Amino acid sequence: MLEQGKISSAQMGKMIFLAVIASAVTAVPSYSGKYAQNDLWLSPAWASLTGFLTVYAAIALNKLYPQKSVVEYSTDIIGTIPGKLFGLLILFFYIHMTGLIARGYAEFIIGNFLPQTPISIVIITMIAVCAYAVKAGVESIGRTAQLFFFFFMFPLILMPFLLRDMKPDFLFPMLEHGLLPSLKGALIPQGYFSEAFLMSFFLPFVTDRGKGMRSGMLTILGIALMLTCINLFILLVFGTQAADYLYPVMVAFRYISIADFFENLDSVVMTVWILGMFVKISIFYYATVLGTSQWLGLADYRPIVLPIGILIAALSFWSIPNLNQASRFDVISFPFYGPLMQTICPLLLLGLALLRKKGKQQSQAQMTMAPEQAHTHTEKQEG
Amino acid sequence: MKWGLVAGMSALVCILFAIEWPRLSRLPRRDKMTFIALVFIGWVLSMFDLPNLPGPTTMINEIFEPLGHYLE
Repeated sequence: MLEQGKISSAQMGKMIFLAVIASAVTAVPSYSGKYAQNDLWLSPAWASLTGFLTVYAAIALNKLYPQKSVVEYSTDIIGTIPGKLFGLLILFFYIHMTGLIARGYAEFIIGNFLPQTPISIVIITMIAVCAYAVKAGVESIGRTAQLFFFFFMFPLILMPFLLRDMKPDFLFPMLEHGLLPSLKGALIPQGYFSEAFLMSFFLPFVTDRGKGMRSGMLTILGIALMLTCINLFILLVFGTQAADYLYPVMVAFRYISIADFFENLDSVVMTVWILGMFVKISIFYYATVLGTSQWLGLADYRPIVLPIGILIAALSFWSIPNLNQASRFDVISFPFYGPLMQTICPLLLLGLALLRKKGKQQSQAQMTMAPEQAHTHTEKQEG
Repeated sequence: MKWGLVAGMSALVCILFAIEWPRLSRLPRRDKMTFIALVFIGWVLSMFDLPNLPGPTTMINEIFEPLGHYLE
């Protein structure tokens, strides 16, 4: 195996948690609010359905092929050439997404805190740090996720300080136009939820794989709860105006002022958020690097970490001249592209793998019962 | 073409080779070829005016645009 490190299922859960929520947390209230208006607190619940499906597909596939990642078992399930093609599509998806996530991170930093800094500096420094983590292997990414998970929870503790600015009236009228607006608002978050499929790259290194399903499902539940919580807070603070802000969470935290002493808490949120983004980009980067070396059958994945970093940096600029174009992808393509590659395709793979397994069992049973009969039967089937 | 960028990227490529070659020299030929190919692609891409060039993001946006408009 390419990777010698081992992680626990709890570490994997925390990695996935940060991988999904790190970028979702800033943008989702605004994206959901655009369609769901004052029902945006309901959207993460719908969106989490995609997450549960994705986790189920990833874990069920891992049970059939315990030591393999999606790039490897796709060739076992649908044959060498289609499997390799599918692997290439998945790898293209992940390297592209890594670039776009790095771009989203940089746009956020430039827009909020470092307006004078060239965007390339922000992207390249982040990719360099992530390259260091990826080179260190899955164990170190798992441990950083475990550590940063608790820091990431810190902004939730600060939220009650906003109670003064909250107006419960903004919640009403609930479901004024039926369920459809909240379902529409769930389309973009469910793209983020589908990123839970990244666990298929990490499951082969999990020591207590029996707990994988439990930890994966709990992770999705946790993400859904946290997003609901944040959407609710944002709704109560801004009302339907939430959609007008690019990063409503940051704006909300700027409101906090305790005794004129604790102020500018948005910088705390940004610090914590950078930690989450670091884990997120590392995980995507790691999946890309590991997948590429598995796809090409390399002996070691470490030497290609830096070259792939250059490609990621290139992809983060490619055909994205400004912030408008960057968020255009998030709104137009990602809600469909993400789940297509990470939920629908794995579910299809799972269905085919189960059919294959069933067929194999049947033919084996027939072989043991009546070898000659079964032989003619399989010949007929093949014919 | 910005010659500063070309020189910078070439220097970066040289540094990459200096860092990775000791480990790579012990690995099979396939690993070396992959490394060289990836570095070369990255080096060539950095020569272009990438932000204003149609690329993967444009392609994906074109494919999913009808669905995206349905949402709006």
